[in-house]
Amino acid sequence: MILEAKNVSYFYKSQRDKLILDDVSFGFACGRLYAILGPSGAGKTTLLSLLAGLDTPVQGEIRYDGIPVTPKDLAKHRRNHISLVFQSYNLIDYLTPLENVKLGGRGDPKMLLNSVGIGEEYWNRSVLQLSGGQQQRVAIARALASDAKVLLADEPTGNLDQATAWDVTYLLKRIAHQEGKCVIVVTHSRELAQTADEIIQIGGGHAGAAQ
Amino acid sequence: MNSFQRAWRSTLRRPVRSLLLLLVIVTVSLSLLCGMACRNASVQTQDLTRQAVGAGLRLDGNESNRTKRLEETADKIGTHKPGYLDEGDLDGVHIRKLETAYGTQWQTWTDNSFDSLLLEDVEAVAAVPGISDYNVTTKITAVNPVNFTRIEDPDNDQYSDIGGVTLLGNRKLELNSYVLSGSVTLKQGRMIGPEDQDVCVISEELAELNGLHIGDSLRFNDCHDPENAPVWEAAIVGIYQAQQPIQPLMSGDTYRWENMIFTDLRFPEKAENETAPCYEHAYFQVGDVDEYEAVKAAVEAVNIDWQRYDLIDRNGNFATMSSNFHDLEKISTLLIVLTFAAGFIVLSLVFLFWTRNRNQEIGILLSLGFGKGSVTGQFLLEALLITLLSFGLILILAPVASRAAADYLVADQVEQSEIQRDRDASRVMYGSAQPEQTVTGVEVEITGEMWRLSAGGVIALIFISVGAAAIPILRKKPREILSELS
Repeated sequence: MILEAKNVSYFYKSQRDKLILDDVSFGFACGRLYAILGPSGAGKTTLLSLLAGLDTPVQGEIRYDGIPVTPKDLAKHRRNHISLVFQSYNLIDYLTPLENVKLGGRGDPKMLLNSVGIGEEYWNRSVLQLSGGQQQRVAIARALASDAKVLLADEPTGNLDQATAWDVTYLLKRIAHQEGKCVIVVTHSRELAQTADEIIQIGGGHAGAAQ
Repeated sequence: MNSFQRAWRSTLRRPVRSLLLLLVIVTVSLSLLCGMACRNASVQTQDLTRQAVGAGLRLDGNESNRTKRLEETADKIGTHKPGYLDEGDLDGVHIRKLETAYGTQWQTWTDNSFDSLLLEDVEAVAAVPGISDYNVTTKITAVNPVNFTRIEDPDNDQYSDIGGVTLLGNRKLELNSYVLSGSVTLKQGRMIGPEDQDVCVISEELAELNGLHIGDSLRFNDCHDPENAPVWEAAIVGIYQAQQPIQPLMSGDTYRWENMIFTDLRFPEKAENETAPCYEHAYFQVGDVDEYEAVKAAVEAVNIDWQRYDLIDRNGNFATMSSNFHDLEKISTLLIVLTFAAGFIVLSLVFLFWTRNRNQEIGILLSLGFGKGSVTGQFLLEALLITLLSFGLILILAPVASRAAADYLVADQVEQSEIQRDRDASRVMYGSAQPEQTVTGVEVEITGEMWRLSAGGVIALIFISVGAAAIPILRKKPREILSELS
């Protein structure tokens, strides 16, 4: 397992009596696409944040390649091990698509943009001139540029039309299967979830493998 | 992509925000430079004013010593028995016994030789290195006008007035206190100098009343015996104008200022039919006011009978004059301090607003693994890049702006000092140069040190402001920032 959640619990400091995650354990392997499903408020995004090193669990630990990620190592974990894709694309608006991908890290940005279907004519435009689907593809290219083994995506198709959502879904699946990355997607979409190799159902603070 | 590359792109591609910050930094820097330039100008002005307004020392007779000398001399007259009087004359003291209806009365009086400052003492002081020039003035001498009419107030009862005019002898009229204070200015002709003999400078009112001109002569004699006393003639070399009414030293039209006639040093004694002059004051001008204390010490070391004299400081003039410029210096310093404080507040608010508006960007960068230091560093670099651009603009604007600001403030202070000078005209003795002449010579320049201080100050402000604005970022977890976005 490249990434593991071990007996992870989490609550907000303002609501200590309400556990968002309660003793959740799960492992994620490279070359597979995982879908985390669950109703709103079930803790999907929280789990993703903990896996991404954006926050630390109240109890339990996150392990990367068998090694616990300590609070001190969070920035390093995010920089070297994890790449993130957001529902709202989160591109930096004063950078071009090419420069946004360069932000991601070491990969060849042109090749990466080509691989996600962004043609050369878009590379040096303002990202604000791109469609939602194109922006999400740029965001995925940026995530891939980090060369991290784990790609975490929070509702990556949430703002896209159905056709574009399928394109992005297959892109993520291809990344998992062809590039051997561990892709973990938080989604509400059952269609997207059904394309995943494994579905993790979250509800009432607990997680369980559904497939 | 490193912090500098991101900062560069952000600066160029967000022109409105960059221009706003540029404007703030230019304003803060210009205010700082203006403050410094004004401060520098005020220091220069003070220095020039001190030099131009000048300082001096005045030598007067000591009144206690006069009384003591009078008693001692009286004791030596006649029987030479202390406590007993006798008729006689000695060293300018005269004692006479008068038999009156009330019994025997003793009359004691002194002549000019007793009351006068000793000219050799005055010259000894004038010879002290550092004394650039000096004037000696006689006592106010009432004399009879022979060939002209004096100015009279028609409403005044002239019964108790002696019907004369007054003479004031001067070695060098230019250094007379009325002239130095600006109360009296020359309208026509010239001042009286040390080499002059039998010359006078009259008021324009007196000249107008009698139709007198430069080159005409006035004739005087002793007002106590106008019928028999010899007549003395003085040529008019100048006509003066009083800038404001001068308070007469005594009552009566004899002593009104329009009837005051400046003469050469030895003329009054002749006109009043005296055999010796009566020098009342001596004024010594110190060449370099910065050397004032040293010159004063050297004067005090001159070997004369100091018990006979009072040496009076006349440096209150430049203290009075330059007090206005001290105020300007204070105002400038306050401007600098306020600019720093206001600059800090404004820049902190700008950066706070800036970081709040860039939450998404901060969240993205943090999620991509950039450290908080890298994000803060980018903001700092952006601010510094804009600051560099600002400095280019300030290089062009600052000399003009600081010149305008300093000119305005200095002119304002000069005006204040002029008002003060007019107010003090009859009370304070000034140097010979006019203040406005010095102020036009002040160079309002921005020195290298000012540039360095201003640049250092603004950069320090940027660091502090960005640091203060970055605190909320540094305290937040990346997830909190990202949560705010979703």
